[in-house]
Amino acid sequence: MASMPSVVPTWRTIQIPRPLQQLFDHFPLRTYDASALPERSQHLTSSDLPTLYTLLRLANFDFRILPSTNHASPTGSLPFLLPPRTSPTTSPLPIPASNLLTYALQHSSNPPTTTRDLDPDLPPRSQAYLSLITLSLRNAWLYALYLDPSHSALLQQLYTRPSSSSRGVQATLLYQLRRAAAEQIATSAGGKTVSTAAASSADAIDEEAVYNSAGDALDALASLLSESETGWAFGVERPGMFDAALFSYTHLMMQYMSGDEAADGTRALGVMVREAGNGELARHRDRMLDAAWPRWGDSKRIGREA
Amino acid sequence: MAASLGFGGSNAVDKANATATANTAQPAYTGPTQMLDEHLLTPATISSIEVHGATNTRRSLLDHVFQPVVEDSAHAGTTLGQVLEHIGVATKKLARFDIFKEEGFGVFLSEAARPESAPPSDRTELDISIRVKEKSRLVFSAGTDFGNTEGSAYTNAVARNIFGGAETLSVNASTGTRTRSAYNATFSTPINGNPDLRLAVEALRSATQKPWASHEEQLTGANLRLAWLAENSDSHALAYSTVWRQLTGLAATASPTVRADAGDSLKSSLTHTFTRDRRDNPMLPQSGYLLRTISELAGWGPLNGDVSFAKTEVEASGALPVTIPGLAAKSGVSVGGGLRLGVLYPLPSGYSLTGAAQPSRINDRFQLGGPTDVRGFKIGGLGPHDGADSVGGDVYAAGSVNALVPLPRLGPESPLRLQLFANAGRLVALNNKGKGKETGEGLAMDSATVFRGVKSAVSELTNGLPSLAAGVGLVYAHPVARFELNFSLPLVLRRGEEGRKGLQVGVGINFL
Repeated sequence: MASMPSVVPTWRTIQIPRPLQQLFDHFPLRTYDASALPERSQHLTSSDLPTLYTLLRLANFDFRILPSTNHASPTGSLPFLLPPRTSPTTSPLPIPASNLLTYALQHSSNPPTTTRDLDPDLPPRSQAYLSLITLSLRNAWLYALYLDPSHSALLQQLYTRPSSSSRGVQATLLYQLRRAAAEQIATSAGGKTVSTAAASSADAIDEEAVYNSAGDALDALASLLSESETGWAFGVERPGMFDAALFSYTHLMMQYMSGDEAADGTRALGVMVREAGNGELARHRDRMLDAAWPRWGDSKRIGREA
Repeated sequence: MAASLGFGGSNAVDKANATATANTAQPAYTGPTQMLDEHLLTPATISSIEVHGATNTRRSLLDHVFQPVVEDSAHAGTTLGQVLEHIGVATKKLARFDIFKEEGFGVFLSEAARPESAPPSDRTELDISIRVKEKSRLVFSAGTDFGNTEGSAYTNAVARNIFGGAETLSVNASTGTRTRSAYNATFSTPINGNPDLRLAVEALRSATQKPWASHEEQLTGANLRLAWLAENSDSHALAYSTVWRQLTGLAATASPTVRADAGDSLKSSLTHTFTRDRRDNPMLPQSGYLLRTISELAGWGPLNGDVSFAKTEVEASGALPVTIPGLAAKSGVSVGGGLRLGVLYPLPSGYSLTGAAQPSRINDRFQLGGPTDVRGFKIGGLGPHDGADSVGGDVYAAGSVNALVPLPRLGPESPLRLQLFANAGRLVALNNKGKGKETGEGLAMDSATVFRGVKSAVSELTNGLPSLAAGVGLVYAHPVARFELNFSLPLVLRRGEEGRKGLQVGVGINFL
């Protein structure tokens, strides 16, 4: 199998005798231009995940969003960014989510901000607040979207239907997604699971605890915002990483889970966001929309006034 | 002596004839040929056929095979020779079910005892007794296998003749150098008691690494396949398959083209395969030819699925022995050539012929290059490359010419040959450069655009010289696979294409 690239490296390290090398250098006798890439290659891929998406917007970074899948990502998680091609057949390396901010700041078309603005030094307690977002809010979001049957339609619209037109494939993917979400929640929620067995379905997760934890987290974050004079978390001048992270959950919860679907008495996450504290979170979301999506913010407001 | 009976039967039948003559030899000995000729011309008919040893085989299956024999032999004027010929055909048919041991066949003829009261007959009535030995019904095996550019280890369980009608269930698990894991189960059954018409249903699951395009493809699917063998030994297969393909496990350096196609797709397709193999030896053809076509229709009309296209491939190859003047014996020298062509034509989904069509995905496009097709190139070395990834093309043509010469001292009977070859190929992707640019409407192309695209891709095949490599090497034809060790140099390349200068090893069963 020496013809396989994975097996040949030992051969490559062998020094080729000089006369042979000279012979090799004469070949190929003729080289044409590269073959053109297939049609699908002309349309490239990239995707969105709200926090980083918002950050890119805040950084005034010019980009396009395309649907993608976890399979396409260098790290297995979305989003990632594909830099533009520099020539028709060179392939750029993707930028995983963790390096996105650095990349965006280096390549921003109009850099009005510095790293300081987007990722300012925050007080140590910010870590505690951030974990409210990345644990409590995230678990509630995962539970609501993946395991709560009232959002099945949304889940299918966002994830399974774009993957394949086949019902069999969609059903398998849905099952895999739900299982993965349940495992995620179970592992990150630690002792909050009802059973100690590996969680593979909604049954193994204490729904009440997940939503209560999210409610507490939202109240705490609302009161954090109420302490701020600038309207941004921890009183920073311009919205940064923390605000983007908060916004990414509150916005989606308000946008997609505002209570119309939750008929069975469970509290809708969007309603919980709106009612937390004195509505600080909803106002924070509007300010973020203004800052990162000025145009969309306008249309929203007009819509609400009409 | 049996061979002179002239019905070219298997050993079993020949043996049977020997037995037959022994059992029924009454006339005066007048020399073997004359005696046999006379004997074969005597009118005969079949009184009974008994099959012994087929304990697990259904009566109906045997009826399908022997009914025609009895009917054909019932006509007045049937001779013993004809009866023997029919029996020979039937036993060969029986052997093709692959449920009886080849060496277990035995046929015995004897004259039927006639009741005293029966009117005298001018025909010999025969009792025919056929002995068979059934193969074991459950077989487990494990071993190593060579496919094209791939080696693998497998375990296999076969349950034969499950319901007594030559049904077979085969369950296979393997792991290989490229196919990380593959599982499949196939149930196949002859239709209407005909060993040359088989229906098979298969379920499969596999994960295959495709390092030339930085990913792994996982397949889960099933297919239903009807295969038949024509009288002239041409083989046909018609299959419906549905496969869930998942492109995953991308390398860190995977190109945007591969990333764009990562994820899931379902292919639902009808495939027809035709093979006419008239080569003297498939691993080392010295004369004869091979013709193969594969036609596939995916996604169109009732087929559904995520991909929609028509795809066709044609392969032709042949070899001619070269006689050396002054040498009476077979020289073992031969020249050969091969040609492969393929086209993928994107179709709209649904029943429309003019609707918008999606361009092809990497797992549907052709790959070209490698030690078993265009030698002197890496696997997938030809055609469009995005960075280091071979992303495949929608249209290809590849051809080769070679001369095989026996090694001095080893001679023409040895499976070793010295090979001189030149092969060339061209793999082109369909695209609409310049036209239809960025519309924001996604990828879909209307039917006119598709037609223009395919047409220009086909004409691009002949734009300039094809990518070309030539070399010399050694060929070893093992009954299981053919091994080649070649030294080759690329003569013409396109930028991005990956030629191999120097040595290349090829192991496979189907070479260009």
